[in-house]
Amino acid sequence: MLLGLWLMFAPDLLDFSKKISNNAHIVGPLIATFAIIAIWECTRNVRLFNLPLAAWLFIAPWILQYDNNVALLSDYAVAILVVLLLFVKPKRQHRFGGGWPAIWKSKTPHSREAGNAARL
Amino acid sequence: MANDEIPPGWDYNPASWSQRMPIIVLAIIGFLIAAYLSLYQFGILSAVWEPFFGNGSITILNSPISHALPIPDAALGAFGYLVDAVAGAVGGTKRWKTMPWIVVFFGIAIGPLGFVSVMLVVFQPVLFDAWCTLCLVTAVISVVMIGPSMDEVLASMQYLKRIKQSGKSLWRGFWGYKDVIDKVN
Repeated sequence: MLLGLWLMFAPDLLDFSKKISNNAHIVGPLIATFAIIAIWECTRNVRLFNLPLAAWLFIAPWILQYDNNVALLSDYAVAILVVLLLFVKPKRQHRFGGGWPAIWKSKTPHSREAGNAARL
Repeated sequence: MANDEIPPGWDYNPASWSQRMPIIVLAIIGFLIAAYLSLYQFGILSAVWEPFFGNGSITILNSPISHALPIPDAALGAFGYLVDAVAGAVGGTKRWKTMPWIVVFFGIAIGPLGFVSVMLVVFQPVLFDAWCTLCLVTAVISVVMIGPSMDEVLASMQYLKRIKQSGKSLWRGFWGYKDVIDKVN
């Protein structure tokens, strides 16, 4: 989350060209948004949306032809940290009846337990 | 019985007041800030509070995008937060089952509001080279609201799935008809 904020404000602090800062100004808020949503256990997997964004940060310097090494290093640092943080998996504290896939799968914890309750 | 309100396969009730109250409070704060900003956009207030970015707020609140629609964007935002607060407050603590329609509506109301706010945050620097403190605050609020409200939507969706599996009418279950509520857990 903080990394997204850094992307958002780094261009102003470090004085990048308009093209580079536009990129950071678009990707930064997106990364921050997904990170905030992923704080809650129920929507934890939203963090995975940040993977393609981090990948984009790796190739963006070539595609957009960055002329600024500080910007390049900053983008790479953010991309690497975002990917590393994706692997941090806090302990599961709650049960969600099988989670989101349970909406389209059958034989899920929620339907099993609902069936048991009916028999009691 | 509190136990009876927990969805099957869960260990807490996502529709309990302790789960919903923080979201409602956030929505009300968002509504108040957005209402304040729209007072400026309607020309009722002549200045707006901006501690960090100089003329940023003025630039953003008078930008073409903020007036792209007949109603200024802050007024639309205020309306959005109000809808969120009301949709968050309607219904009892078992509404994931008794009123799936309001839970799903609540989820749909929360999602786009967050999406639009993030879009507006992107537009601020890219198109206008300016930031607006209170606009950012409301955007953060709308994004923060998404995560904690989705668990309730999930519980309702799983309930609808169980209705489908049991062969009962999904339509009647969605609107909370009693015959479905009594037969499906």
